[in-house]
Amino acid sequence: MFRYYAWLAARSLRRSPALTALMVLAIGLGIGASITTLTVLRVLSGDPLPEKSARIFLPLIEPRSMDDYRAGDPPSEHMTYPDAMNLLRAGRAKYQAVSTGGAVVVQPPDSTVEPFMADVRFTSADFFPMFETPFAQGSGWSADDDEARARVIVISQSLNDKLFGGADDSVGRTLRLRGNDFRVVGVLDHWRPTPHFYDLIVGNYSETDEIFVPIDTGLDLEFGRRGTMNCWDDATDPVRSPNCAWMQLWIELDSPAQRAEYEAFLVNYSDEQRALGRFERPTNVRLYALPEWLEFKRVVPSDVRLQVWLAFGFLAVCLINTVGLMLAKFLRRAGEIGVRRAIGASRRQVFSQFLVEAGAVGIVGALLGVGFALLGLWAVRQQPGDYASLAHLDPTMLGTTVLLALLSSLVAGLLPAWHACDVPPALQLKSD
Amino acid sequence: MDILPILAALKRQKTAAALIAIEIALCCAIVCNALFLIAHRMEASRIDSGIAENELIRVATAGLGNAENPGLRMQEDLRALEALPGVRQAALVNQVPFFRSSWNTSVRMARDDQQSVADVGAYYGDERLLDTLGLRLVAGRNFTHDEIVTFEGLFAGEEGPRVAIITQTLARTLFGDADALGKEFYPSETPARVVGVVERLIRPNISEDPDFTGLSMILPIRMGGGYGFYLLRAAPQDRAAVIEAARTKLREISPNRIVLSATTIEELRSSYFEEDRVMAGLLVAVVVALLIVTALGIVGLASFWVQRRRRQIGIRRALGATRRQILYYFQTENFLIVTAGIVLGMLAAYAISGWLMQQYELPRLPWLYLPVGALTLWLLGQVAVLAPALRAASVPPATATRTV
Amino acid sequence: MLKMTHLSKAFRTEVVETYALRDFSIHVRQGEFVAVTGPSGSGKTTFLNIAGLLETPTDGQYELDGQDVGRLSDDARSRIRNEKIGFIFQAFNLIPDLNVFDNVDVPLRYRGMSASERKRRIGEALERVGLSARLRHYPAELSGGQQQRVAIARALAGSPKLLLADEPTGNLDTQMARAVMQLLEDIHRDGATIVMVTHDPELAARAQRNVHVIDGQIVDVGEAPRLHMNVSRLSA
Repeated sequence: MFRYYAWLAARSLRRSPALTALMVLAIGLGIGASITTLTVLRVLSGDPLPEKSARIFLPLIEPRSMDDYRAGDPPSEHMTYPDAMNLLRAGRAKYQAVSTGGAVVVQPPDSTVEPFMADVRFTSADFFPMFETPFAQGSGWSADDDEARARVIVISQSLNDKLFGGADDSVGRTLRLRGNDFRVVGVLDHWRPTPHFYDLIVGNYSETDEIFVPIDTGLDLEFGRRGTMNCWDDATDPVRSPNCAWMQLWIELDSPAQRAEYEAFLVNYSDEQRALGRFERPTNVRLYALPEWLEFKRVVPSDVRLQVWLAFGFLAVCLINTVGLMLAKFLRRAGEIGVRRAIGASRRQVFSQFLVEAGAVGIVGALLGVGFALLGLWAVRQQPGDYASLAHLDPTMLGTTVLLALLSSLVAGLLPAWHACDVPPALQLKSD
Repeated sequence: MDILPILAALKRQKTAAALIAIEIALCCAIVCNALFLIAHRMEASRIDSGIAENELIRVATAGLGNAENPGLRMQEDLRALEALPGVRQAALVNQVPFFRSSWNTSVRMARDDQQSVADVGAYYGDERLLDTLGLRLVAGRNFTHDEIVTFEGLFAGEEGPRVAIITQTLARTLFGDADALGKEFYPSETPARVVGVVERLIRPNISEDPDFTGLSMILPIRMGGGYGFYLLRAAPQDRAAVIEAARTKLREISPNRIVLSATTIEELRSSYFEEDRVMAGLLVAVVVALLIVTALGIVGLASFWVQRRRRQIGIRRALGATRRQILYYFQTENFLIVTAGIVLGMLAAYAISGWLMQQYELPRLPWLYLPVGALTLWLLGQVAVLAPALRAASVPPATATRTV
Repeated sequence: MLKMTHLSKAFRTEVVETYALRDFSIHVRQGEFVAVTGPSGSGKTTFLNIAGLLETPTDGQYELDGQDVGRLSDDARSRIRNEKIGFIFQAFNLIPDLNVFDNVDVPLRYRGMSASERKRRIGEALERVGLSARLRHYPAELSGGQQQRVAIARALAGSPKLLLADEPTGNLDTQMARAVMQLLEDIHRDGATIVMVTHDPELAARAQRNVHVIDGQIVDVGEAPRLHMNVSRLSA
């Protein structure tokens, strides 16, 4: 029977091409817009470390002076150099790494290539095992390298391509950064955690850094810094001052018990610093799990959420429009329905016939919707903004599109089909 | 045209009429809010910066190694850039509007105050900066040469600047309606005396709150130590040539350095608001698509009604109704349905606006958008129904005498 | 075959209750060809609607093919219409979007027959009405008489127990009407039970038996020749 209905639907839809085109176009546009915005939202609210994000934590303490203190304020989002290094060296977590961003001039080995600026991550040994960064060659550096302020670096895949033509023996090569020679110890494979969780200041969805360098090495050689720095009292050397907060410490903990322990450790540390007269404000510590931190920082741009709502509003209008048009189309055939009923079609059979027709509109609409979504995502990728290039349709969203379109048109077809099967069986084709 | 019979006829096809009304309502609600959002974004992107935007160029460089005396080098560069043909003024500065990097300082009214009065955008520059930026001084004077302190000196722990030039917005925040000239405040541990007040200068971190955006001051600090960049002022038509010349000149002075960027402030502004423009464009597209879909929906349904009532129309014509009366009938019918939709839509528009206020800290939808939205949809409805109504009007009276 | 006893059908509005049929009893035997006549508004269309299970009676009994069908559900009535009744309409009521073959196919589809069985039946039915050559034509491409023959083929295809015809020649010119009538008589001769509603006495005269309805009641039942006279008198 389904094939008969499908055949009837195809004939009926072909008979009024303009109306059919309008319905299909409306559904397609609505679906296309919704899927485009949903895809962007999905990409942006993704989990940067799917396997272990719940075990990655950002500890915060409150080092600021009493100036502009208000009770209940959340603690500083950054640490001072001394505090970050103290906590790093305390080594209370499974892994811990400091992190802050910067930039440095790279002098390519090939002198015909102009020197250029590259993004730098100042960090420490645990960064690589903690975030499970994929290595194409070599590995990260050791804690000893950190202590020794070794001139070693890890470079990104794109920088390896750019500097060494994608060579697979880059480990051990020398790279000149701001007039100093560094030895390459590792080359990352493609790695772009989305969102760029470990530094939201440089951009929520920015590309991964190109060079990773032990923090003290980079600071000693006065590499450029990027990001916020908040100073309270006078600070002659802000970078290493106990009065300027600008770094973050990331840690990995395996269990809730460890989390509680670490929190207690932070409280202890803060109390100690207060006792020493360094911290002025009341002890105020936080330990954000990575997903909590992304939520707290509202990394997904509000415009993207607004666009999703807008798209679904548009889809709603398109659907109501389609309901109206289908109702008109079906009831225009009231005569046919009456005859079919008289000849012996049951209500359910008439209902099914028209629902199949609605579903057919939905399937064609879905196909068109996928087309529009691809077009929409292509348009998104042409836009500025560091997340634009991430907008791609994946199989899940493709499935969602088809499902959404089918569901939409069936919902849209429900009311008209119900009205259609309500037409009484008749002996006359009534014209009014 | 008598409305009652039309209402009676509508009652007989209330499902379809209700659908159109709901579609109009949703469309109206979305369109009103979208138009407001568009206007809001456009207004935000038209903000007056207070500087001579169409004449300014920002040039940023980076050294390849640790230079001997970066501060001195920067002064040399500046002099060389100043001498380029077409350059009217040049200055070193730490920040400019529309570039996403900002320097902010909490200022106090007394040294030992624990609470600051305001968080202020701090521009650092010497006596050249005021004119290079093209700011309008409304009271007082520019810095003098001996009032300037150096950035390196501040780092080394020297005393902070003793004077400052502030915006009118900051003057009001610090001193109320009183004359700000000669008064002191604390941008650092050292009190600074206000020597000049400029009409307007926005900070780089633009906010929804115009008072926050306008809180800026200029401190007489000469940039150095590798921090800061060059600001060149040239006639609008000379800018392209100046940018080229500056790049060449800087490379000529020292090949041991790269020019990170050399762009006009206009370009910075344009990219600063790019996302807003994209969003506004998107909203315009949605509004247009919504109106088209709705209009086509009205055309479709109205055509169906006309076809369904052909016989009835024929009978009316046979009984003496003029073409015009038939036309009016369908136009009035459309007007009634659209009006119902608009009434619903206004309520929905306000509900959406309330939600947007909560979610996106937007102001309340100004009431003016409601009549605009209503008018748009009334017009849309009338235009859309015209073709089907004309077809109805052209139904011949003889239709009445034909069976089926 | 068809048996109605003390049947009534009332239409209620807010103020009045009007009877389209009142205490209506009729018995049509297997293989009979009955014509139901009467003026406009006499209730003959209501009779046909109830006979065809398109409407339910307000009161009374209706038995079709030995089964009480007066109080069945909508679905059950649909099935009986499909399997036991063939309709022939005044306005032919062919579905304009479908060609001749597909129009005849409609009732068979709802019966869920196999494709080969349907094809065979459609072929036979169209052969019976002499339109085998017009399978792919659309209703709009046929004359009125041909359309009505397609409608008859559609009614016959399901081999119904009862054929109900509503003014089958009402929309046809004399020559075509005669051909269609001849076809109905042939079908009857082959053993079909036919109930035909008409206001045309000449047509009614060709049926085996006439039933005259006025104001929702049967006023006269008789063999065709007698009725012929009665009708003449009544209309005078």
